[in-house]
Amino acid sequence: MSYQSLASSGAASAAAAAVAAFPGGSCIPGRRQFARLANGLTVCVLENRQAPVVTTALCLRAGTRDDPPGHGGAAHFLEHMMFKGSARFGPGEIDRRTQALGGSNNAFTSHDATTYYFSFAADRWTEALAIEADRMASLTLDPRQVASERQVIREEIAMYDSEPWDALEVAVQARLYRGHPYGRPVLGTRGELRATGREELATFQRRFYRPDNAVLVVAGEASEETVLGEVERTLGALPPGAEQRAGASAVAWPEGMARLRRRKGEVPRLLLALAAPAGDHPDHALLRLLAALLGSGRSSRLYRALVDEGQLCSWIHTDLTEGLEASHLSIAAEVVPGVEPARVEGELLGLLAELVGTRPGLEEVERARQVALADWVLHHERVEQQALSLAVALALFDAEHLDRQMRRLLAASPAALHEAAGRYLRPELGSVLGWSLPRS
Amino acid sequence: MVETADRIAAVGRPGLTTRVRRVEGAPVVAVRLWLNAGTRVESIPGQGLLTGRMLEEGTRRRDWRRIAADAEGRGMELSSFGAFEGHGVNVDALAPDWELALEWAAELVREPSFPEDRCAWLGKQAAAELEGLADQPDVKSAWGFLEHLYTPHPRCRPVLGDVASLRTVTAADCAGLHRTALAGGVIAAVAGVIDEDAFERRLERLFGDLPPRAQPFPPPAAPAGLPERRHQVKVESEDQAHLYVGHLTVPRRHPDYTALELVAVILGSGAGLTGRIPTRIREREGLAYTAHAQTVAGAGEDPGRLVAYVATAPATAGQAEKGVVEEIARLAGDGIGDHELEEARSYLLGVEPFRRETARQWAEILLEAEQYGLPLDDPQRRAADLRALDRRACEAAARRHLRPADLRVTIGLPG
Repeated sequence: MSYQSLASSGAASAAAAAVAAFPGGSCIPGRRQFARLANGLTVCVLENRQAPVVTTALCLRAGTRDDPPGHGGAAHFLEHMMFKGSARFGPGEIDRRTQALGGSNNAFTSHDATTYYFSFAADRWTEALAIEADRMASLTLDPRQVASERQVIREEIAMYDSEPWDALEVAVQARLYRGHPYGRPVLGTRGELRATGREELATFQRRFYRPDNAVLVVAGEASEETVLGEVERTLGALPPGAEQRAGASAVAWPEGMARLRRRKGEVPRLLLALAAPAGDHPDHALLRLLAALLGSGRSSRLYRALVDEGQLCSWIHTDLTEGLEASHLSIAAEVVPGVEPARVEGELLGLLAELVGTRPGLEEVERARQVALADWVLHHERVEQQALSLAVALALFDAEHLDRQMRRLLAASPAALHEAAGRYLRPELGSVLGWSLPRS
Repeated sequence: MVETADRIAAVGRPGLTTRVRRVEGAPVVAVRLWLNAGTRVESIPGQGLLTGRMLEEGTRRRDWRRIAADAEGRGMELSSFGAFEGHGVNVDALAPDWELALEWAAELVREPSFPEDRCAWLGKQAAAELEGLADQPDVKSAWGFLEHLYTPHPRCRPVLGDVASLRTVTAADCAGLHRTALAGGVIAAVAGVIDEDAFERRLERLFGDLPPRAQPFPPPAAPAGLPERRHQVKVESEDQAHLYVGHLTVPRRHPDYTALELVAVILGSGAGLTGRIPTRIREREGLAYTAHAQTVAGAGEDPGRLVAYVATAPATAGQAEKGVVEEIARLAGDGIGDHELEEARSYLLGVEPFRRETARQWAEILLEAEQYGLPLDDPQRRAADLRALDRRACEAAARRHLRPADLRVTIGLPG
């Protein structure tokens, strides 16, 4: 069903807004073309002439879940090393070249994938492909650079350990996904880092950094013909042969609501993580809408009850991860000093129970839908974000994933949402409630 | 006359200055209304912040619940804010809603009701935010650095104020600051797909009766800084020190500002881990995950600052400090290479299209230009400004404004 037909069917007034917001008929603007090279590389050209810029996003189906035993953090470590020297680009040269061309680059590692991206002005973007090809084919992994970068990652771990929210999030996620690769910290532990060297990183790259395990999105002011020609010329000779990723076991969610308590800082912080299905499950779209209904905007249930009216928390935030195997919906709140944490917990659980017990009204659902739609549009205005969302969706799901889930969100009825709330918003069905409480 | 099509236009009214840009194809329209009164001119710490936040807490027509529900029901992001130099309202709306976005933004600025009960809550909320931020070691160290450099100027304290003073700010204090600020005029910056004629008519109706601009606030105390060269802040950190090194430089309107932007890229504000400080601290010596530098951070009506930041283990903080100080001294003393300058220039020219991709970015650019009386910030002018600077000009600016002997060091250490 298209956005137009969704709007015509009267499914939701937000659907009419979506027709205006997505004039090309997709929630990612621009004309899309797909190709697959002989070596298995999937290429997507997103021609979008809103600004004279081009972003290339290379997403590999290799992440923390693929870390070898005893070498946690290897996927992330390798991501760092991809900037530390290859045959044509010595240590630091990728950044210097990017700067000289007036662009930007970065990368991120998740449990399911690792993504590298460059953004350049439209007249010089092809340098990104030259860099990607070179480091895919001939990464140096100089032992001195490996040792130096290990120290840098130790500092990154220290940074996360010091930040109260990051530290709480890592602990909650470890408990929620206990025994599953999603519970491992992306950065690994200090001990695992010490045990990981050139050999392990080279092996990881050999196993997974292959064109038949990757998706490349080129988005912005570039034509399909030019892009495909350049991609074939630069990346077409890379040898295929990616190893099949090991299947992860099913997540064994906690029985009931597991509790976790830490002491850090001077302000109480609450993080509730609820079990949720994989990102491509039809219920995932419903949960995204439920997350908006609960915590997006001042009119949302939790914000109003806990912040603006209850005056118990200085802020609350809801989020939903989008994993290949499973996801989780999280509710984070920072408690006003002096307020009893147990009171906040009681209120929060009561509000969830209320949503599970009583069907939300159409007006409230429509508000949440409008907010979710606006969030999407504002978040995807820039070509870079369009490229990244598309690359990850293609690598983990499929080409229609983003629009399919958006249409499900726009079409969801209050009754369907209510049923989904019953399936997922009951902490007793599998969740972790983490508290970071003041030391004093 | 408001210019149409692909042009930037400035429209004057007695108490209103407007900059508008039509951004073809943008799915969002961005409205920014700004009043020149924030932390910089407040008489009670936190007053500027609360004054801004109070604008969305109620108007003569609607209470805060209605304002939020109406905006969210249209998929609009409407927020009021208090910042260091000003306060105001931001609205980002789906393009067809631009008239409503302007109407509601104007309502918040022209008709706020400043309910006392909401002020009490916002003060409490801001105090809680302040305490939450103080738990973050980098933020707490950064506050210490501002205090080190700017005391007794208001930049020496967080925009959030302090916990004690936030309890004392009343709705009447906020209403008073806002009323005085209105006498200083309103700046409107709007970008998106808009109907210029209808826009002009709407502006006339909403703001045509504002009185001519005045200068209602005396300037704040000049920044002097704390007397000591080194300042230590106690933070709750796991084995990490937060090092800030720098001194004051120039305000936004200073003629050396653009040269110092180029110098900043050479020092460490460019792409990835380039620049002398990140290259040495992270790439060569492996001391930190985060290392960067700026030369005009926070420059506005008052001077900005040279600042190099490194997060490193306490055991290597001395080595990191030595590296940062040496790199600043080397740049000021030995100058820069032609190749370095060309790379920095190429970088700043290359990132221009990314600064202007969206209506929201355009609105921010227009607002800044109007706020500091800068020329219309179009890509051609920016390119000409950057190309006009040669190595000698940049070195001269670096010598004038990077002063190794004046460097102050603030370090946040676990304790």
